[in-house]
Amino acid sequence: MTQFLSLLLNGISLGAIYALIALGFVIIFKASEVVSFTHGSLLLLGAYSIARLSEPLGFLPAVLVGVLITAFAAFLVERLIINRLRGAPVISLAIVTIGVDIILLTELIRQIGPDILNVPHPWGGDSVRIGGVGISENRLIAMGVAGILIVAFFVAFKYSSWGVAMRASAEDGEAAALMGIRQGRVSALAWIVAGVLAAVAALFLVGAPTPGVSAAAYTVALRAFPAAILGGLDSTGGALVGGLLIGITEAMAAGYQEQLSFLGRGFGEVAPYVVMIIVLLVRPSGLFGTKELTRV
Amino acid sequence: MSAAAPGSTRDTTRDDVPPVEVDGVSVAFGAIKALNDVSFTVAPGSIHAVIGPNGAGKSTLFNVLSGVYRATSGEVRFGDAVLSSMRPFQIAGVGVARAFQNIALSGAQTVAENLMLGRHHLTKAGFLSSGLRLPRATREGRVHGERIREIAEFLDLGDKLHTPVGVLSYGDQKRVEVARALCIEPRLLLLDEPVAGMNAQETERMAGAIREIRAALGISVILVEHDMGMVMSLADRVTVLDFGRRIADGTPAQVQSDPEVIRAYLGSGTETDPAEAAAAHTTDATGSPA
Amino acid sequence: MSDTLSAPAGATRTGAAAPARAARSPMRFLKPLLLLALLALLLVLPLYVEEFWLRTGFAVAGAIVGAIGLNLLVGTTGQLSLAHAFFLAVGAVSYTFISGESGGLGTRAVLRGLGLPPIVGMVVGVLLAGLAGLLFSPIAARLRGIYLGVASLGLVFIGVHVLNTWTPVTGGFNGRSVPEFSLFGFSFGNDDPQLFVLGVPFREAERLWYLGLVLALAAYVFARNLLRSRPGRALQTLRDSEVAASVMGVNVQAYKARVFLVSSMYAGLSGVMYALSIGSIAPESFGLTVSILYLAMIVLGGLGSVAGAALGAAFVTALPLVFQQFADVLPLVSSPGEGGIAAGIAARYLFGAAVILVVLFEPGGLAGFANRFRRRGRAPGRGSPSASPASAADRPTDTDPSDPPAQGSSTR
Repeated sequence: MTQFLSLLLNGISLGAIYALIALGFVIIFKASEVVSFTHGSLLLLGAYSIARLSEPLGFLPAVLVGVLITAFAAFLVERLIINRLRGAPVISLAIVTIGVDIILLTELIRQIGPDILNVPHPWGGDSVRIGGVGISENRLIAMGVAGILIVAFFVAFKYSSWGVAMRASAEDGEAAALMGIRQGRVSALAWIVAGVLAAVAALFLVGAPTPGVSAAAYTVALRAFPAAILGGLDSTGGALVGGLLIGITEAMAAGYQEQLSFLGRGFGEVAPYVVMIIVLLVRPSGLFGTKELTRV
Repeated sequence: MSAAAPGSTRDTTRDDVPPVEVDGVSVAFGAIKALNDVSFTVAPGSIHAVIGPNGAGKSTLFNVLSGVYRATSGEVRFGDAVLSSMRPFQIAGVGVARAFQNIALSGAQTVAENLMLGRHHLTKAGFLSSGLRLPRATREGRVHGERIREIAEFLDLGDKLHTPVGVLSYGDQKRVEVARALCIEPRLLLLDEPVAGMNAQETERMAGAIREIRAALGISVILVEHDMGMVMSLADRVTVLDFGRRIADGTPAQVQSDPEVIRAYLGSGTETDPAEAAAAHTTDATGSPA
Repeated sequence: MSDTLSAPAGATRTGAAAPARAARSPMRFLKPLLLLALLALLLVLPLYVEEFWLRTGFAVAGAIVGAIGLNLLVGTTGQLSLAHAFFLAVGAVSYTFISGESGGLGTRAVLRGLGLPPIVGMVVGVLLAGLAGLLFSPIAARLRGIYLGVASLGLVFIGVHVLNTWTPVTGGFNGRSVPEFSLFGFSFGNDDPQLFVLGVPFREAERLWYLGLVLALAAYVFARNLLRSRPGRALQTLRDSEVAASVMGVNVQAYKARVFLVSSMYAGLSGVMYALSIGSIAPESFGLTVSILYLAMIVLGGLGSVAGAALGAAFVTALPLVFQQFADVLPLVSSPGEGGIAAGIAARYLFGAAVILVVLFEPGGLAGFANRFRRRGRAPGRGSPSASPASAADRPTDTDPSDPPAQGSSTR
């Protein structure tokens, strides 16, 4: 039972991080109809910037600058490429983000090399016990920060003019444009917000129990993709649920590895994808995604 | 070139064209009722127009008839076939063809290739026989190519068969839409605003073509159209929709003098040409400095 | 109206076949001649060039098969898939397992193999890849193209996991070596029988070159035929509008499932060829990177174009190998371990940038570029019609938000 609770808590904390990434993925899709395969390498860019800047700047300024760098990179991708392709087929947009991903990821992996870069989190690698259930301080803080960010996001999404504009353009781009909503600005802002969320997620993703920044962080970040799809590509609430579901699945599959040994070592890393495929089999638009109106 | 009898002599309905019965059809999107208990019957071999102000539910009705939308309640029957419980490709299989209003052709493919798609349900060549170019696949293509040419020539597209559709003029593309629907060899033809955006001359030609189609093939035609002149001169019977409800059903003369119809049209403002409206709309969207 | 329309009886009349398009340009005669010359050149090449080029050629042939298959799915049908590496793996592993021998592997688990003739391994490899595609096709058929793109990511990770853990079959983390190909006793290895043609020794590289040529040509012709026929037209329409395809009588879900099946069989064959070309299989050869490179091939070559896929495959496969071969003469590029940028990495920068530039400026890829070049002067004022599948939707009455020119002009 303790093991179960421990895995559950760790799963939720991991899931909170995934939810941040997935949320960015979803708002980019809502704002610019782009499935951004650049998201994994953007996250790695955030992690790398924070790790590299920590020494000269100190931890907090490094986080701040790292977040800014990531957000700016996302902004550039939107302005220089996506914005020029407004209205292009969804598949071309996805492919162009893959092009960006190839370049960014290749460069980051070359910079990181075979090393593991350390991020000097002030909370270090310590663990705490809550009623007999152990969790790393890093993950505990991650949960808190993610919680705050997610609440802030949903409030902003509901009440800020950007949130309203974005929901309007996701609903009916042309009508929104007629009412004076500038889709370019809405889309750029969505990419910036997604960049910020990815960088914050990166900060915690490379902390305990993960040893630091390596190319593997990219693979981990990719697991937020099934989270977004699982919830429904156009549902922010779905991203949240999907993130938690994926986090818990991964933690459970890794934790009960002995019992699941017939599935092979390291099954935890692919369990999210298995769950995603099963869900899509039953619900092709994800749990909360908008269903297709037409029947073919 | 046609060896068959001139179309105008054949003014009788084929005996394999059953009536279309639209029976209490409703369609709801969430809380919005796009169609509310709509019923009417299309007599075999007639031209039946469906009209109504913008947003009256005409497009929704066409989407139900062609199987793209599922009716929330009610039934559409075409002889023995219950269209409302079939998927679109099955509906095409029983000889119901639709020409889209907003041109849903493949721009990169030639006119001939687009028309051949209409023969899809009449042909059989599969992945294997096509990939290997087995004789039966090539023979099939040749035989049906002949009929394609006939239909293309009928709609003045004979010299454009090998032109990619994307480079054709708007009027030509509209005619390719109709030609493609004809290639299904339909017993029921659904025409969604076939003359929208056309000039007077093109409109006249299209109206002539529709008459000819009905006369030569003896099939039923359901027509959604904004051009009232065309509707009144062409249709045998007219159904009027407003806010998803049927408000009138009768001959053009009956409908024209129906007070509720007049109210619906006056109440919703003057009827505008949809192409014009859309063009103005686009200008606003791009030109707006907001 | 110019003519009258008869009842459908006309459909069964045979008579003169539709007149072929009139000869419009000298290209009509030039093209077959050029193709013939190219084929002849490819046939005699092993007599003249070094082993490196022949081996590169076989790797390219394998990639061509895979890229054509992916292009049928992504380019022609508009279904984004990142699962291609998975199906390559199914083909490669099946071949290795079926035609490989059982045997020890040091202290680790004993490898198993069926030891059947390699041609059986190849055929069954293709069939099993198809079966894997068939098993996934209920998902592939129901998902919108873009959902499929992300969902198919899952298959790649699951595939790598299986490769890593199912050691007796796959060789696990370290992989296993691939049995030589042979056909009815004729080995595609270095000897058995020894072979000289015009005094040139025909060893593994030369023999595989011809195998690659035959398979790539077959894959090419099959896809070309397919696209020009009934299923091909249905698939292209399905890409442009699923609703239109369905209303015209195409069973959209069945066709999506079928093209997924065909595409995965192409991938299976490509996987077998890859295994033969490298000589061993290992999990890292079938990761996400490979899927992405295949996507790069078809985008660079031109989505939906069979010839484009072949061009793209040649470019993407050969470039890193050529970079490596000429590392010492190329600026900036270096051999591994020295300063500068390693060949593989330099190539990847190039692919990434090329993909972005193609989508931005030449959506038709290399094939579109060639088409435009050929068509210049024939259709003035219009670009290649294949450049934009959505061009037909570009009409004032259309309120579809994916209407490029209308909105693009305001944001530029």
